[in-house]
Amino acid sequence: MPWTRDSNTIARIALGLAAFAPLAGCKASAPGKSETRTITFAKHHIFVGNKNQKNPLPNNAQTLVDGKEAFTHYCVACHGLDGQNTGVPFADRMAPPVPSLASPEVQQYTDGQLKWILDNGIWPSGMPASKGTLSDEELWSIVVFIRHLPPAGSLGEPEMYTH
Amino acid sequence: MTTAVRLMATVKKMLNTTLGEPMKLRSRLLTKLPLLKFPLLLALAIAFVSAHAQGAPKRIEVTAHRFNFSPAEITLKKGEPVVLVLKSTDVAHGLRFRDLHVELNVRAGSSTEVTFTPDKTGDFTGHCSVFCGSGHGSMALKLHVTE
Repeated sequence: MPWTRDSNTIARIALGLAAFAPLAGCKASAPGKSETRTITFAKHHIFVGNKNQKNPLPNNAQTLVDGKEAFTHYCVACHGLDGQNTGVPFADRMAPPVPSLASPEVQQYTDGQLKWILDNGIWPSGMPASKGTLSDEELWSIVVFIRHLPPAGSLGEPEMYTH
Repeated sequence: MTTAVRLMATVKKMLNTTLGEPMKLRSRLLTKLPLLKFPLLLALAIAFVSAHAQGAPKRIEVTAHRFNFSPAEITLKKGEPVVLVLKSTDVAHGLRFRDLHVELNVRAGSSTEVTFTPDKTGDFTGHCSVFCGSGHGSMALKLHVTE
């Protein structure tokens, strides 16, 4: 079944995606509109699990501070300090591109799904699996930060790209 | 001879007038000193006894290194103050018990400590709170607090 992510399934997905590759010539270029629509639907409704799990951490200022701290140490290289790609030179030159975490595409996931993405990553994008690299507490606090992102550009650019 | 005696007498008088007051005070104090001995001894005795009655807080040493804490499990008693010592043998680490509001951060190769008193019973998991590498998220320390 397509929504169990075992190696057979992955092979099938790979073949499906490989069908697009000759059209792109393997270069990292932006996907087309219908490809984006299809994959977005598939991610939200089929591939990304854990829909119903609720965030065990309280939705308060302390958790937000913790989430921002963890995000800043670990996620900023690709997502920018504000989660909206500010200052990240290659965000739109990856295939698939790095989405703005403030976009409806990302915000429409449930908290549990966001946690799933943080735990497992998204293949074949550059989003890595972080289960075990960050603790469950840190990952859940990042989910809270994603729900309360600062205004785009308000935190400046990641230092690694500006000094 | 008399000149010498008179000279001595003058010097003594001078000493008495210039240093007279302080010298008198000092000698007064010196006479009172033996009286202080008893209360002083009593105070020392009380301090000594009370320190031993409570016991100095227990010291627990935890060593952090990539990617675990050792010991990985500790048991404390509710209401008993304890000194938690965190040592790192490699990079910077942290130890945080969110529900007990306890957090330590230790620099690479260094040591740090905090004194706290667990105020509730139960099982708590402390996590490393300073990103230290790929296994950072799996560093955990189990804390049991009993009555």
